[in-house]
Amino acid sequence: MSSFNILPRAKFGDWVAWLTQRYRVFGPKPTDGQYTFGVIKSVDEIDFNYTQTLLSPKKCIIPQRELLYTYETSGMRVQAVVESVPTVILGVHTCDQHAIRLFDRIFSHGFTEQHYRTQRENTIIVGLECLRTCGEQSFCRSMGTTSPATDVFDLHMIDLGDEYCVEIGSARGRQLVAEFRGMFVASDTDLDHRNEVLRDKWDSFPYRLDCDVTDLPELVEGASESSHWQDLGNSCLACGMCTQVCPTCYCFNIEDHVDLRLHHGSRYRSWDSCQINEFAMVAGGHNFRQKRAARQRHRFMRKAKYQYDANDMVGCVGCGRCATACLVHITPIKTFNELWRRKQTAEGREAEGKPSHEDVA
Amino acid sequence: MTDAKKPLPKVGFFDFTSCEGCQLTVVDCLQTHPELLDVIDIVEFREAMTGHAERYDIAFIEGSCTRPSDEERLASIRARATVVVALGACAHIAGINAIRNNMSLAEVRNIVYGTEGDKFESYPARPIGTVIKVDFMVPGCPISSEEFLQIVTVLLQGRSPELPDYPVCIECKLRETVCVYHRGRTCLGPVTRAGCRAICPAAGYECVGCRGLTSNPNLESLEQVMAEHGLKSDAMQSRLDMFLAWEMNERRAKEASRE
Repeated sequence: MSSFNILPRAKFGDWVAWLTQRYRVFGPKPTDGQYTFGVIKSVDEIDFNYTQTLLSPKKCIIPQRELLYTYETSGMRVQAVVESVPTVILGVHTCDQHAIRLFDRIFSHGFTEQHYRTQRENTIIVGLECLRTCGEQSFCRSMGTTSPATDVFDLHMIDLGDEYCVEIGSARGRQLVAEFRGMFVASDTDLDHRNEVLRDKWDSFPYRLDCDVTDLPELVEGASESSHWQDLGNSCLACGMCTQVCPTCYCFNIEDHVDLRLHHGSRYRSWDSCQINEFAMVAGGHNFRQKRAARQRHRFMRKAKYQYDANDMVGCVGCGRCATACLVHITPIKTFNELWRRKQTAEGREAEGKPSHEDVA
Repeated sequence: MTDAKKPLPKVGFFDFTSCEGCQLTVVDCLQTHPELLDVIDIVEFREAMTGHAERYDIAFIEGSCTRPSDEERLASIRARATVVVALGACAHIAGINAIRNNMSLAEVRNIVYGTEGDKFESYPARPIGTVIKVDFMVPGCPISSEEFLQIVTVLLQGRSPELPDYPVCIECKLRETVCVYHRGRTCLGPVTRAGCRAICPAAGYECVGCRGLTSNPNLESLEQVMAEHGLKSDAMQSRLDMFLAWEMNERRAKEASRE
């Protein structure tokens, strides 16, 4: 079987129906004028022309609130709960594929995270090639995420008009195509058409970062004392929306819930945010990131440097969700470009023999 | 652990200036979770039963302090209770009762009681925590039944209940509610304490701040955001003064004393 198959558009509904009979299927749905990944029962619910979803498909693998184990308060009985549902995530944009790629590294290196691994191994990723930008806040091209993550998708779809080209990315994807029987091998004409579509899409994706993505780790490291963090801290609402919508944020909180009779307890893991007041609060009441400026700095350091150091990938995939969500217009592009501008200005001054400190400018 | 032989904790419910809707939520909890009566002994609850007690392990107090005689009654409850919990926005942050704090008392008396106004004692509304020591809070207008049950459970365990200190935006995003600002309206979610599961934005309304401010809200920035979204300054003030009048006045007084 070829790596490239064709699914006629007229058969798309059959394929979705076939999948929903066998898997829990998440797909992009219109919601109140925006989009979310929701469980799909019928093909009519899916909108493949979707732009940015409110939350990324990370919620399908790491739920907002997840039961880790249950316990009895009378003794030491603890029952781990590691459950997974056979899942297909349909129509994953390329930026979100790269975000899952980062998670795959984070949760598999060193300490293997069992809850993530179990659901991830039970999740089939069906990608969707982006043929136009999601909007003015997206900057995937600058981050190098406008093409699929080949080590993430099981299948990857490209809309060719009357048909989809479906590329196979894994043995599991190959098996899915074989079992469905509704696709056929792409002809040379189909492949030419695919290549044309892929060639012509790029004009829709502007570069928005003034530096190269590979400049970012050094850029933010050199800017650790920049006064720009205070500018961000002054306007930041510390609402935490940026991290909630981020496809690569995974920090969590742990909560215990006990029933009223105090017999049975449950321990949950829920999404947390480094932008909120209590995130860096430790026993004794000390908060080591009390200031909003320090929290914003931490956020951008983590995206642009710490993830790169630890996992060889910058922790921002350019989806632009945080930029859309932020009510005070703090965005990765504006932040990185401003730090870059200050760096260039300082270097220019240095070359002229003037003091190089950015704040002199 | 609850022990059948051990007497159940004695619990009382009390009300001051309020609509008593939070106590109604408690009555509702008794119907959805009848096992509550297996773990606490309700000894006083004017809205739901007759009876009076001399000691309470936990006293839940709804309502604001709005007149001199309230202070004496609050002190008496405090003296007889081991733990005092403020129940709902009126007790916690004076709630909508404090709207009148920005009006003259004579005007308020006239609006409420007409010509008979001077026959009633009244003064600016305050949270009960300004009169007596309050150990814990159940915020909201009305309280969330889920949070109330959670707090009771934590108290039964002998632990201290903790409230979220992050804004409603977190909960809006978790349930994927489209931002109120993106729907062309304004919202107090970014400065309001979460814990309500962002029920109002999810229902198509906006957050009006009933659970009070987070511990470190960026109000200056939010005011700019609201102005950017077309809210005029008088409308903004009345929005902030609906549930947050007392908290806002305290902040203004603090700022004034700093200047």
